[in-house]
Amino acid sequence: MRLFSGQRAFVVQRLSALVLLAFLGGGALRLAFGPPASLDQWQGWVAQPLGAAAVLLFALAVLAHAWVGIRDVVLDYIHPLPLRLTILGLSAIGLALLAAWTTLVLVSHAL
Amino acid sequence: MRFRIYRLDPETQARPSWREYDVRLEATDRKVLDALERIRTTLDDSLAYRRSCREGVCGSDAMNINGRNALACITPLEGLSEPITLAPLPGFPVIRDLIVDMTQFFAHYHEIRPYLITDEPPPERERLQTPEERAKLDGLYECILCACCSGFCPSYWWNPDKFIGPAGLLQAERFIVDSRDRATAERLAFLDDVYKLYRCRTIMNCTEVCPKGLSPSRAIEHIKLQQLRRST
Repeated sequence: MRLFSGQRAFVVQRLSALVLLAFLGGGALRLAFGPPASLDQWQGWVAQPLGAAAVLLFALAVLAHAWVGIRDVVLDYIHPLPLRLTILGLSAIGLALLAAWTTLVLVSHAL
Repeated sequence: MRFRIYRLDPETQARPSWREYDVRLEATDRKVLDALERIRTTLDDSLAYRRSCREGVCGSDAMNINGRNALACITPLEGLSEPITLAPLPGFPVIRDLIVDMTQFFAHYHEIRPYLITDEPPPERERLQTPEERAKLDGLYECILCACCSGFCPSYWWNPDKFIGPAGLLQAERFIVDSRDRATAERLAFLDDVYKLYRCRTIMNCTEVCPKGLSPSRAIEHIKLQQLRRST
């Protein structure tokens, strides 16, 4: 796969969609059949390594999926190169900050 | 029957306009192209449009009829709501009235190298295929390059210079799956590009309007799957 191929984004979009589907499906089943009774139980679940890893994977999949979507919209509709680079740059920084913040929150709960 | 037709004469008009026609049709006038011929011969001989075979084979008279791309020669007048609105193919530069500039469209077609590529010596007669290999071309080779699909594709409207478009990609698939072609890897590598292939957002307008009942969106998905198989 070439670094700047169209296929990379195509694959990322579909793989992240599968992760989102699995997490949301699993989450819905959990809420339907054994919902946590209190906020403490929620926090306890997220604080376990497995729960934290699942939430982190979900958050990263959301951000990756969002990145491909934003990039597609920009490539389709924004044609002036400076504006395109600005929007893509700001989006990348925003998504990276969100990823860092999510990781920080999860790690602080898990420790 | 009432018509509302897009008019543009670049020599005299800075902006396009719409002109209304109320034309008396004969009993033999069954298709939109018949009505256009009647308008031109009885009401307005300045109306410009392309036509050739009159039977859905040449693809010359593709246009937007009541908001949907179609061939005028095979679109029945019966059932169309009045006034029947005729416009050039959306997203294409207009040369005059209903005639559009197809230069970019055919440039994309040539880009995909629409011919067999092989380094094998020519056989005494034809290059043979099994019935199964030949069957893979069904649904692909019938394309008449009318551009109804590309002219109804939002991705092609936004990036007509870079996105090959559904018609060109359907033709690309026609040669990718041809058992006699030896350039499959090169063809797939050429299309592995952010713009050429991957601007397709699976909107499927192309399949919706193809006058030959073909499915460019299925062909595009097949190209993507083959690229995935080769890269894993």
